[in-house]
Amino acid sequence: MQLADSVNNSRANQFALNYSSRHLRFGWWALAIYVCLGIVLEMMHGFKIGWYLDVGNETRRLMFSLGHFHGTMLALVNIAAGLTIRSVDDFKLRPSVSFALIWAAILLPGGFLLGGFFTYDGDPGTAVWLVPIGALLMLYGVGRVALDLTQTARDAAPSRPKQ
Amino acid sequence: MAGMPRSRNLFWPAAGASVFAVTVIALVCWHDSSRAVVPAPPNRPITAQERNYVTSNSCRACHPGNYASWHTSFHRTMTQVATAATLIPDARNVELSFAGRQYNLERRGDSIFASDRSLGEKEYGSPHQVVLLTGSHTIQILWTETGQGRTLEQFPFAYLIAEKMWAPVTQTFLMPPETKEAYSIGAWNGACMDCHVTQGVSKFVEGNKWDTRVAEFGIACEACHGEGRDHIAANRNPFRRWKLHLTKSADPTIANASRMKGPESALACGQCHSIWAFNGMDEKLDWNRHGGKFRPGKEDLVQRFVVQPNEQDHGTQKDFIRQTEPDFFRNRFWGDGMIRVTGRELNGVQESPCFKGGNFSCVSCHEMHPTTTTRVALNTWARSDQLIPKMESDQACLQCHKEMAARLTSHTHHDLDSSGSRCYNCHMPHTTFGLLRAMRSHQVSSPNVRESLDYGRPNACNLCHLDQTLSWTADKLRAWYRQPVPELSDDDRTISAGVQWLVKGDAGQRALLAWGMGWEPAQRVSGRDWLYPFLSYSLLDPYAAVRFDAWKSLQTLPGFSDFEFTYTADADALGAAVKQGYQKWWNEVRPGNPNFDPKTALDPEGRFQQDVFSRLRRERDDKPIVLAE
Repeated sequence: MQLADSVNNSRANQFALNYSSRHLRFGWWALAIYVCLGIVLEMMHGFKIGWYLDVGNETRRLMFSLGHFHGTMLALVNIAAGLTIRSVDDFKLRPSVSFALIWAAILLPGGFLLGGFFTYDGDPGTAVWLVPIGALLMLYGVGRVALDLTQTARDAAPSRPKQ
Repeated sequence: MAGMPRSRNLFWPAAGASVFAVTVIALVCWHDSSRAVVPAPPNRPITAQERNYVTSNSCRACHPGNYASWHTSFHRTMTQVATAATLIPDARNVELSFAGRQYNLERRGDSIFASDRSLGEKEYGSPHQVVLLTGSHTIQILWTETGQGRTLEQFPFAYLIAEKMWAPVTQTFLMPPETKEAYSIGAWNGACMDCHVTQGVSKFVEGNKWDTRVAEFGIACEACHGEGRDHIAANRNPFRRWKLHLTKSADPTIANASRMKGPESALACGQCHSIWAFNGMDEKLDWNRHGGKFRPGKEDLVQRFVVQPNEQDHGTQKDFIRQTEPDFFRNRFWGDGMIRVTGRELNGVQESPCFKGGNFSCVSCHEMHPTTTTRVALNTWARSDQLIPKMESDQACLQCHKEMAARLTSHTHHDLDSSGSRCYNCHMPHTTFGLLRAMRSHQVSSPNVRESLDYGRPNACNLCHLDQTLSWTADKLRAWYRQPVPELSDDDRTISAGVQWLVKGDAGQRALLAWGMGWEPAQRVSGRDWLYPFLSYSLLDPYAAVRFDAWKSLQTLPGFSDFEFTYTADADALGAAVKQGYQKWWNEVRPGNPNFDPKTALDPEGRFQQDVFSRLRRERDDKPIVLAE
């Protein structure tokens, strides 16, 4: 039994480490991409690109800024998720949560960015409809991690000795 | 257990601090909100909620590009609340005099005040605040409080923006020299604001007192698109918006001139850019009490109608106008019914053959919202008559008359790159006048000599070939277009049409020619040397508008670019300036071996042929004329 438990624990740890690595890899790559995007936006400011800065392109500028901000923040969320798996004993990231956090970091900023490419005056392009899908995934992912961490802490807490 | 007493000890101080903090925040908010509500000034028209108008502030969030182009346009600044920032000239201690009175403008903080006195009096009267401004492109007119509610009075001087000078308002319009007042007290409330604000309501009270309110100062979004409240309410729904985006269908909750048929589209602009009159006294009263009922997209002006002298509609009303204001038509139209004042382009457009097709309208050539919204592009667009790119060229006509592109020179009988091959120059010549300059007619027509003989309107050929006679033009039109040659007088055979119009025409014709002699294509075609003496002569014209254009045209001629002249000066100063100008030309600019064409009524040396010139001068049409732009 001890051997079996040991094997199971080892598998579980390996499983957790895989998730952790996945989120760390994804998070850092996403961070690199969205940070680069930020530099591109700054360059468009620097070179006064009308396609981005003209008052008639206000919606595009807003969408790109939102895409950059949300992408960067969700990249950090994924890194935080990867580190949380490693640093909190007995915490297991659900596959669905992993899926939600990764796709939230793609769909939510992606919706803003694509929506900013083709705009309808004050409205972004149709791709902006990806944003609410990404937002729901983000909400689920972040909320589920918070709940699971709370539950893990409760399970790990030693029962209070009787006085 | 040891911590409990400490918690109790902290509770009341914490609660007290919280209550204190909340109280302070509440007081700050109350203070800010009380500051935000500025009482409406009682001495001028104010903005107020009118029906379902929501103002341009509500449009900006969803239409930033369109808002930006409108914001750059001179429509926005057609009427502004007067402040140190909106008044273009610096109003610090401006002293002006006109018609026996002296006027003073002074700045007090952000406000401007005007006062006046009779010549010789030591003290100025009590100052009146300048409260509203009209115009920001060519001329800026000031309106002062009157002490009678929101009734306004015109400050007698206007500011010419390009020339950076003050001029009596009566001398910024083409009106007889003896005119002392352009607009009476209350005229702004009762008439001017009809087209210079968005949905104004005059609200006559009693005597000369008005309680005028407007939806928005200037010509804002809802002037052309109609009330916006329903549009905003409907489009809070994102699914509705995307349905409209994806299907590219029209939004029935808002008017859009670019999606209308030609006549309705043109009327959206023509609700103001036309000569219009009320259908009757009831409609006029209704307009004054409740504002206009026309909304863009409608087929007629509801309480009003577009006055076309030659159309059969509204006969009773037009007869009434003829009886009550005999010069109404003469001051606005040429004898054949073509509009002769600017700013009323719909009258011309409606009578154009292009308009009969049902698709042609103002937005065929002009645009209110260009796609490029850089500051430079918008400023260029706003200062270029808001034309669509390339519409300043033949492309404006060729977009419909495509077949003409291949046979342009055989049609025009001019070289391809000649100004005589530009569609506009022949079919939309400069025969309307306003804002101290000639502008293109918007009634698309073909040049003919009859229009000049019968109605006095300079024809397109002689507006370019200023030095040629009507006989020369008639011969060309017969040879090229088989137009019959009308019976012509000796003068029409021997004296250039331009000289005749400038010397013996009415003030409107003289103004067109004084401006036309500064038109570069005409100078290139007709030569410049002979224009100096005629423009110098016109500096003494009794009509200020003619003097102004003669001066501006003289400045376009070599050697006269820095010619100083105050067209509003008294007769002695005008005479001295003319003498100086003429001598300058004679001594410094006149060609060394002159040989002036006798058709120009100059002798070979360049002196006026006195017998001819004096006769033409005696025959001048001196009937008083007001071009009511």
